[in-house]
Amino acid sequence: MTYVKNRLRRTMMFVPGNNPAMIKDAGIYGADSIMLDLEDAVSITEKDAARMLVYNAIKTVDFGGAEIVVRINGQDTPFYDEDVKTMVKAGVDVIRLPKTESAAMIQKLVKDMEKAEEEYGVKKDSIGVMAAIESAKGVLNAPEIATSTPLMMGLAVSGEDYTADMHTHRYPDGRELEFARNMVLQAARAADVYAFDTVFSNMNDTDGFYRETKYIYELGYDGKSLVNPRQIPMVNKVFNPSKDEIENAKAVENAIREAKAKGSGVISMNGKMVDKPVVAKATCVLETAKASNLIDEEGNYIGE
Amino acid sequence: MDKVVDLYLNDSSTRRKWKHFLEKLGLNNFSSREIDVIDHTLGLVDDDGNLVGTGSIAGNVLKYIGVCNEGAQPGARFNKIVTALQQYIFNQKIFHSFVFTKAKYSKSFQHLGFNELAHTKQAAFLESGTPDVNAFLDTIPKVKDQKNKKVAAIVMNANPFTLGHRHLIELASQENDLVYVFVVATNASLFNTDERMKLVQAGTADLKNVFVVSGGDYMVSRATFPAYFLKFPDDLVATQTQIDANVFKNIIAPRLFINSRYIGTEPFSRTTSFYNQSLIQVLEPSIKVVLVPRFEVNGQVITATKVRQLIKDDNLLAIQKLVPSTTMDFIKNNKEILQDRIKKGMNIDGN
Amino acid sequence: MEIKTTGVAGTLESSDIQIMISKGTDGIQIDLDSEVAKAYGDQIKKVITDTLKKYGLDNVKVKATDKGALDCVIEARTLAAAQRATETSDKPELGVL
Repeated sequence: MTYVKNRLRRTMMFVPGNNPAMIKDAGIYGADSIMLDLEDAVSITEKDAARMLVYNAIKTVDFGGAEIVVRINGQDTPFYDEDVKTMVKAGVDVIRLPKTESAAMIQKLVKDMEKAEEEYGVKKDSIGVMAAIESAKGVLNAPEIATSTPLMMGLAVSGEDYTADMHTHRYPDGRELEFARNMVLQAARAADVYAFDTVFSNMNDTDGFYRETKYIYELGYDGKSLVNPRQIPMVNKVFNPSKDEIENAKAVENAIREAKAKGSGVISMNGKMVDKPVVAKATCVLETAKASNLIDEEGNYIGE
Repeated sequence: MDKVVDLYLNDSSTRRKWKHFLEKLGLNNFSSREIDVIDHTLGLVDDDGNLVGTGSIAGNVLKYIGVCNEGAQPGARFNKIVTALQQYIFNQKIFHSFVFTKAKYSKSFQHLGFNELAHTKQAAFLESGTPDVNAFLDTIPKVKDQKNKKVAAIVMNANPFTLGHRHLIELASQENDLVYVFVVATNASLFNTDERMKLVQAGTADLKNVFVVSGGDYMVSRATFPAYFLKFPDDLVATQTQIDANVFKNIIAPRLFINSRYIGTEPFSRTTSFYNQSLIQVLEPSIKVVLVPRFEVNGQVITATKVRQLIKDDNLLAIQKLVPSTTMDFIKNNKEILQDRIKKGMNIDGN
Repeated sequence: MEIKTTGVAGTLESSDIQIMISKGTDGIQIDLDSEVAKAYGDQIKKVITDTLKKYGLDNVKVKATDKGALDCVIEARTLAAAQRATETSDKPELGVL
């Protein structure tokens, strides 16, 4: 239970919930978030065993400081209820609800989590939620979903299921995801929550992966879902701030420090007011730079 | 990552892909005898959609397991397909499984928790799960101080139990302290396993030192022995008898302190006499093989085959001198059912 | 708690353990197959036994095929197999873990 709303989430690595080998090693790859999957990666007959394995792993395995997300089974499945209870008891950071199509679904999840928190003596509001958008309905309702609860951490685009719902499939140029990607991102930004892009499963197409990652970074996405640890350094590379961005962010930090020291309530830099979005962006840039070893503890640029 | 998929062999293009894949791995026996018994087949598909592994299940027997190791960690694909097959049968509530395979793959299966029951130069026979052979042997009745007694064993199909069978058992009963009669448990016979067991028990009820037990899954019958992995299908009889004899000699006999095995000679069937010869080769000298000439009535050898033929011909009168009264009563009372089975295509020529 | 059928959980893949539970009559009997049986056999058996005892099963036959599983995996697989054997999988007994 180390859920914090704001943190680096460039990479969310999917780990099949019934695979002990992958679970026990998940923490060594340096992913910002690890998503243990009880849904699509686990066959129907193994749902009960996977649930127990994930529960026990969360309590004992060292995931190296990564955020722990669990994708539970959909609300329309017989596995949903026990998944919620078990993951609350396990103390995950975030519960990811697949096939989210409305605010009501999220609100039901939060209610179910509250009940479980009470039953197991888990601190209220210590677990966040995220919504996976996998259908046309979900996309159109993204704004209401994003604002459905203060516990909302972010929205994710689920390309495979969404394109199936749209009567198409994934293509290399990604045009079929244009609307969904933009809509989900808009909704996330308007609600001040995170936005995650979908997985890229062709391990042999490195160029394609970079292309897609650069594209969603350009749009403004916070992170990408991954199925292979090899993709982690690739995403981090794309998400790395430039030297200029880092210098600028350091300047913002300095402006804030000076303003505080002077006791001034207004922060200005280069003649312009420094408002919240600028501060947030600067913080994020410096956090990312530190995580990628582009700056050292003191903030000195050490990257290439 | 490789994915496990269901393969439906009744689709001709799937079947062709499957056969082609296995042929590349050196498996080329796709006779209907081997294919028709398959309940389900699984495949392993890589990221490019190529078939890189497969395995099938027939009842509780794994077969046609093959993997291509190019581009994968050695053993990983084999592991994955066998695990997936096991998950499949566990979901069918089958927790005890067997595999007959080329001898060189025995170690791979053992690595996955299979226990080797017997092997020859060409083949290996393994089991996994529960109840296993030890549980089977635990259920077989024993007597006090059995290790110091003269214990004989007879393995028979008894389809049905005849005076010939009776003669063999009587002889063994007279010459030994204890006789085990193992009734082969396969339902490929005119009289089903339950019926055959009951008839043997009824026909030997007066012999106090005879225990009639089911052979369970451990008397490997020719009817069920999978030949899919043999290079030459003609090797089936030789391989099957060797495997069967080895299981008997190395696992069953020692546990039950069996010192001898009684078999009836076979003047008519070449395969049976060949089988008997193989048995002698494998079993002796640790287990004495006693060949008993077939029982004759009026100069005619009594065979169960003849009895089945007479049922088909509806000549119950002629059956009377070939079987004990207990068997005769059963046949009389179930004549229609038996003849119906024959009409529906039940083979009566085999064992 | 009564064992109603054979219960199996876990796979034979690396770092996992397959636990097969069936009715027993003579306490908790474990047949363990593991490449590290010599060094860790007792520890593995202890984890299985403790989990079963905590769950409330005293007479079981266990067939375990270990592929290098951590204790947390052994516990989870043992409980999953036990609940499948008692046909109570829809109500996970998390208190045991």
